[in-house]
Amino acid sequence: MSLKPWKYIVAVWLTVVIAAGFLIPIPEIDILQESARNLFLHVPMWFTMAVCFAGGFIYSIKYLNNPDPATDFKAESLTQVGLLFGICGLITGSLWARFTWGSWWTFAEPRMNLSALAMMIYVAYFVLRTAFDNPEQRAKIAAVFNVFAATTIPFLLYIIPRQLPSLHPGAEGNPAFSEITAPELRYVFYPAVVGFIALSIWLYDILYRYKKVKYQLEQQRA
Amino acid sequence: MTFLSIQAQEDTVAAVDTLSDSYEGWEGTAGFEDASIFVQAAASYDLIFIVLGVSLIIWFILLFFIIRVDKKVGRLEDEIQQSQNSSSHET
Repeated sequence: MSLKPWKYIVAVWLTVVIAAGFLIPIPEIDILQESARNLFLHVPMWFTMAVCFAGGFIYSIKYLNNPDPATDFKAESLTQVGLLFGICGLITGSLWARFTWGSWWTFAEPRMNLSALAMMIYVAYFVLRTAFDNPEQRAKIAAVFNVFAATTIPFLLYIIPRQLPSLHPGAEGNPAFSEITAPELRYVFYPAVVGFIALSIWLYDILYRYKKVKYQLEQQRA
Repeated sequence: MTFLSIQAQEDTVAAVDTLSDSYEGWEGTAGFEDASIFVQAAASYDLIFIVLGVSLIIWFILLFFIIRVDKKVGRLEDEIQQSQNSSSHET
């Protein structure tokens, strides 16, 4: 069995994005300097995470409507990929903070702490899943928890940080992404967003199919 | 493409600079300008190429494993499909 063609396109696309991200000349921006290139990694990580969590949220609601193990696999796989990208977003953000704000972690910074809290809520989702031996019970409780977890995301990552004073772009008088963002950065930024979302769909596809195969083998054995 | 060549110890305030002389007399630097573009890039201050190279190596290794796992799952799916087909023929 060979790979689907779109997967090769994603591989080539992201390779080009990584190369372009390092090689394009970027304008000199105060404080940011060359670290502005982190925009191509850090921001798409959070966008990708949001897309994955939104997908997981939808499948969790679907599962509660119509309990089908495959829907639970989809919700779990999407949440796993989303958490992976969220953690990558935290790491790239921490690295960026080190070179612009001078510290790996700022405990007065609401956006950092709240995004770490959001990740911990999603870690709890996987801890919760391990607490049940009965797959139906596990899927149902996990789906309910996932609905709760997904609803906290807009508040923790978007609404509350915007109300509080913050160094992070996206607060009062400090737009995250606006007409002041250099056009050169956009040429790589938008393709990077598309590329990382496509990569997350690829990873989700592998995880989902793996879980389905495992389930089918267990059914055959039983 | 031209690269800045190494300037050993130029910017440091070493009390006793014993290295500059040694490096200037080092035979390995002879003919540096004639060296291949890869050697010049690796020994230059344009380290973004090195960062790019390392990042691409990591990315390609990740990609290799993603593709391998994807193909392995595909093979398992085929096997299950075949065993289901054969068992449905039997009944």
